[in-house]
Amino acid sequence: MVSLFTSGVVPAAVAGVAWGILGGALPGISPSITMALLLPFTYGMDPTVAIVVLASSYVGAEYGGSIPAILIRTPGTNAAAATVIDGYAMSQQGRAGEALGISLYSGFVGGMFGLMVLVLLTEPLSSVALAFTPTSFFALGVLGLSVIGSVSGDSLVKGLMAAVLGLMISTIGTDPVTGVNRFTFGSPDLLSGIPPILVMVGLFAVGELLAQSGEPGWEKATSAQARIRFPGPAMWRRIARPQAIGSAMGTFEGIMPGGGGTISAFLAYNEARRWSSRKEEFGHGSPEGIAAPEAANNTVACTALIPMLSLGIPSSNSSAVLLGGFLIHGLIPGPMLFVKDPDVISGLYAGLLVANIAMLVLGYLIMMPCLWLVNRPKPYLMAFIYAFVLSGVYAIEASLFQIGVALGFGVIGYVMRSLKVPFLPMVLGVVLGFMVESNYRRALVLSSGDHMTFLRDPISAVLLGFALVVVVGSLVRTFTSTGHRDTETQS
Amino acid sequence: MRSDLAFAVATLAVSIVYYWMAAGIQESRLADAIGPGGLPKTYAILLAGLSLVLIARSIGTPRSPTPDPRSPIPRVAGTLAIGIAYILLAPWLGYLVAIAGVILATTYYQGGSVNRRAAIVAVGGGIFFWLLFVVMMGIQQPQAW
Repeated sequence: MVSLFTSGVVPAAVAGVAWGILGGALPGISPSITMALLLPFTYGMDPTVAIVVLASSYVGAEYGGSIPAILIRTPGTNAAAATVIDGYAMSQQGRAGEALGISLYSGFVGGMFGLMVLVLLTEPLSSVALAFTPTSFFALGVLGLSVIGSVSGDSLVKGLMAAVLGLMISTIGTDPVTGVNRFTFGSPDLLSGIPPILVMVGLFAVGELLAQSGEPGWEKATSAQARIRFPGPAMWRRIARPQAIGSAMGTFEGIMPGGGGTISAFLAYNEARRWSSRKEEFGHGSPEGIAAPEAANNTVACTALIPMLSLGIPSSNSSAVLLGGFLIHGLIPGPMLFVKDPDVISGLYAGLLVANIAMLVLGYLIMMPCLWLVNRPKPYLMAFIYAFVLSGVYAIEASLFQIGVALGFGVIGYVMRSLKVPFLPMVLGVVLGFMVESNYRRALVLSSGDHMTFLRDPISAVLLGFALVVVVGSLVRTFTSTGHRDTETQS
Repeated sequence: MRSDLAFAVATLAVSIVYYWMAAGIQESRLADAIGPGGLPKTYAILLAGLSLVLIARSIGTPRSPTPDPRSPIPRVAGTLAIGIAYILLAPWLGYLVAIAGVILATTYYQGGSVNRRAAIVAVGGGIFFWLLFVVMMGIQQPQAW
């Protein structure tokens, strides 16, 4: 309470969330970029206020990413990619207001749960992160890839092919172990590889723009449909389970270095579908398909701070930027931070509480203009989205080459749409490929080439076990549905 | 289905070219047991195998109904060309003019008509994006030479 009212924490949290929602809603502007843009402004601030502004913008950005994901099929952040599936489907059904309401409410629930975990379990849980080795990181990546079967739509083979193509794309650039250049064609622009955000913006946004070029205008949402709708008691009950799953996944992934919101969102989506009594609705506008990933990525916004605060290990780009904020103000994260600067820690906790509540209010206020956008004439809306995407992609590294890469992936996305090849597996392959390869090889170097190291490491063994369960479940579901279809065809 | 067959043949070709390139990756004295080309070659083999499975499945299934003869390709190519033109012209025209041009051209290619309203929206949009990215957020955008 003292922290709330004596150090400007409340306005800092509100301003941070507003900035975060805006940045997260802009395709191409990741939460880490949103936070990095704020860093210069925090120099002159009180350390507690500065940390609260940065952490609150992270919370806001994780939610903001879902707004364009639902309205224009473009995830504003990597973590919002899973929200696209059912969010955009609901939007196309004229249920954009309902989808956004579920997203906001689930984000709030996930954020509050994540904050609770952060406050209660920071020190005990951080010991798990300390035990992570390259072997565990590899297993974590494999666990992320294991959900491919669930996001492959009707064809597991085509989904696997898309995933392998994604893994291939992830090998472009400098080899993580030897430093040798691979598939760069002598271009210095490709030395650092292809950022996943370019692949996602290309496949989702540019691909959709190209696909829309040949399509007639869509139906406009009526004023009743466009009205923001928070879920009622019946919907609360329905999405409670996926929210719990999302919160659990967000906690699990957030405390693991390298986990992040993207993996947790996809895992949460997958598990929500597995445990749902309305599996057939997933992919066609299921509220549960929004609630689970949104709860997960907002949980991560808090739980990702656990290893950063207690050990000084940033588990994601965003927490790395926050670490930078700590260091700028002479604060050294780690066990001693709790002893030397308890005011900063309590101020951060209080700020995150305010940020999550503010997100509920600001998210509501910002949604209405977003819904207004959906009702603009299609050519104008498409034109503004295109301009937005081109500007956002350039903003990443001030590179026109990267715009070309995003356009290239737009063409690939258009072709994949036309051939009914799912591209979410490709995104997973690109996002996780580098992590899987680099840690696989490092683990083998450390174990002198012994593959049993992946089973001897207890964290790795558990994660690989989970991955196996997910894969087997996907295969069983695929063969069961195939058999069911065949039976229906024969009858 | 025919589209599956086309996709599978294309990915088979990709896997062959990719394997060939992976095999040509220079070795390093720092190389580990797997080496820089190890996993890429595995990916290529995996993709080739999956492509062959899809080819086999596609050959065994009946052809899908004839697609709609109205091809969207010209409009798709036009929209893509707008993005390429932006890459080429933005360094010459500057961000504000180039992005306004993108808005105007895309409006046309998405089925809108080019009239005074469209021009006003394009100019207004250009100023909006310039204010948002360059002025408000301080994000660098292409500048004219």
